[in-house]
Amino acid sequence: MDHTEIKVNDMPEWLLKNENYIPSADKDTFVNKSILSVFKVLSRIKKQDSAGETAFQINVPLKVFGTLVLILLVSLTRSFVFVIIVNVWLLAVLSMTDTTRMIVILKLSMGITFFTAIIMLPAFVLGNTYSSIMITTKVFATITAMGLLSHSTKWSALTQALKRFYLPDIFIFILDITIKYIYMLGEFSLNMFYALKLRSVGKNRGKYSSMAGIAGTVFLQSKEMAEDMYHAMECRGFTGEYHMNDKSMFKWRDYLYIGIIAVFFTLFIYFGKV
Amino acid sequence: MHIPDNYLSPSTCAAMGAAMVPVWTKAIRKVKEEIPKAKIPLLGVGAAFSFLLMMFNVPLPGGTTGHAVGGTLLAILMGPYAACISVTVALFIQALLFGDGGILAFGANCFNMAFVLPFFGYYIYKLIKDHVRSEKGEYLGIILGSYAGINIAALCAAIEFGIQPLLFKDGAGQALYCPYPLSVSIPAMLIPHLLVAGIVEAVFTVAIVVYIKKVSPGTFYKGAKEKTRAVYGLVAGLICFTPLGLLATGTAWGEWGADEIKEVVSGGNALGFVPHGMKEGFNFGAVLPDYAVSGLPEVAGYLLSAVAGVAIMIIFFKILGNMKKDKAGNNVGSYRN
Repeated sequence: MDHTEIKVNDMPEWLLKNENYIPSADKDTFVNKSILSVFKVLSRIKKQDSAGETAFQINVPLKVFGTLVLILLVSLTRSFVFVIIVNVWLLAVLSMTDTTRMIVILKLSMGITFFTAIIMLPAFVLGNTYSSIMITTKVFATITAMGLLSHSTKWSALTQALKRFYLPDIFIFILDITIKYIYMLGEFSLNMFYALKLRSVGKNRGKYSSMAGIAGTVFLQSKEMAEDMYHAMECRGFTGEYHMNDKSMFKWRDYLYIGIIAVFFTLFIYFGKV
Repeated sequence: MHIPDNYLSPSTCAAMGAAMVPVWTKAIRKVKEEIPKAKIPLLGVGAAFSFLLMMFNVPLPGGTTGHAVGGTLLAILMGPYAACISVTVALFIQALLFGDGGILAFGANCFNMAFVLPFFGYYIYKLIKDHVRSEKGEYLGIILGSYAGINIAALCAAIEFGIQPLLFKDGAGQALYCPYPLSVSIPAMLIPHLLVAGIVEAVFTVAIVVYIKKVSPGTFYKGAKEKTRAVYGLVAGLICFTPLGLLATGTAWGEWGADEIKEVVSGGNALGFVPHGMKEGFNFGAVLPDYAVSGLPEVAGYLLSAVAGVAIMIIFFKILGNMKKDKAGNNVGSYRN
């Protein structure tokens, strides 16, 4: 007891005061939101790596082609029945994908469809029932079809498929770099956002200008990375040309897929005439 | 501003895509000339940067947040041609992999955001910067360039929406695609962009340019001097577009005359009366009333008004430039930091 009293007397007064520091509240929703949206993109890129491992894998160029044809037909048709048929087919395919993937695809397509429905509401009220219902259902079909394509295919396979469509090498090259660097620069900016959040205790007036600083630093960093990358490429003998050594033949399910697309084409013509 | 599929007719999408082909060709050729081979990866990295920039949320008054597009910023940093390619790639990835913006509408989206936005923003910036040779002039250029760039892009999107019901109708006269005419689509697109998105874009662009100038001043794109002439071409093109306003079925939203205000529909009910103040007050007797000069066909009246407006703007900036030039000569030392 004595011992502690001596110690208490030795300590400076300010240390003994009970302090109750509560940092004043500050708004930082924009930092949180930025972190979240960057994070979403990063996790999306990470997830697509495992996308190719579904049981029912169709030849990727064929799948890209089929999806484009379907989207074009949906956009061209004036038959509501045809749009409904496509929607039903897409929902059927969707129901066969695994749950997590399905939820992600549905979230996006439902979100955009809902947004479209709200936009079309005044037109609907004013009597333009045709286009408001038609566009809303068409939007759902298109977004779901794109979602199914991008969520069931590795993105590297998608860029490879573009080569099949005779896209110039420089375009595929830039596309490839972009996807990789969205990830790298995204991680880089994420760290800076965390730093900004951790260092902002209480009110931080400089937060808004820090935001510009983060974007500016990301740009400068990207310039540096681009130059480093060119040197790395040169060292490894890469000239920007892509060669394909994929000689895969169509399997039975690819022919089935072609058949389905053909059926949709026939339906499109049939309902166009009715 | 990302237009999803099915809002525009496939033929509109095809036309916009075709319009982009010469732009892309020219951009690739220009970039090959301007950018040494060692910097080609910069295009991809620039695209990644422009993609990420749209993820950055900026606080808005009222507790909400918004994000900038950064088209003008990229054009100022890397040149308009490189910006065109970078934004195109970013839009392509958004459409193909993230479901943001349509696949068929890709051409239209590129036209608005990868062509009109960076080029218009950049040339306005360049025009003001070259005429007002001081640091303030440069910042003024950035602010006006980025503000005008995003708004003109929004206007293009609004026109693309607005011409749909005029061009594509079924037998019963109902619109097949976007059902809203120009009189609805233009104010619906422009009001939020003029009031909010444009300001976010301008503030964010200036803030980033100021930061990069401070940290690493040597990294800016240096365009050739004579390029500013292109802006006159752009302005001339826009003037030719002004009669599009005539295509609108009604008077532009918010621009009703006193006799029309009676029929304004709000919440399904016609207004049915003329606000008192409008009937008696507020009659300025504008120099070119209702954009139609008497004795001229309406189209010519529109063109004339547009030319007059642009001329007045140019005169204003020339005067402003002249005033700044005198000042800039006095303090050469603090010309640039």
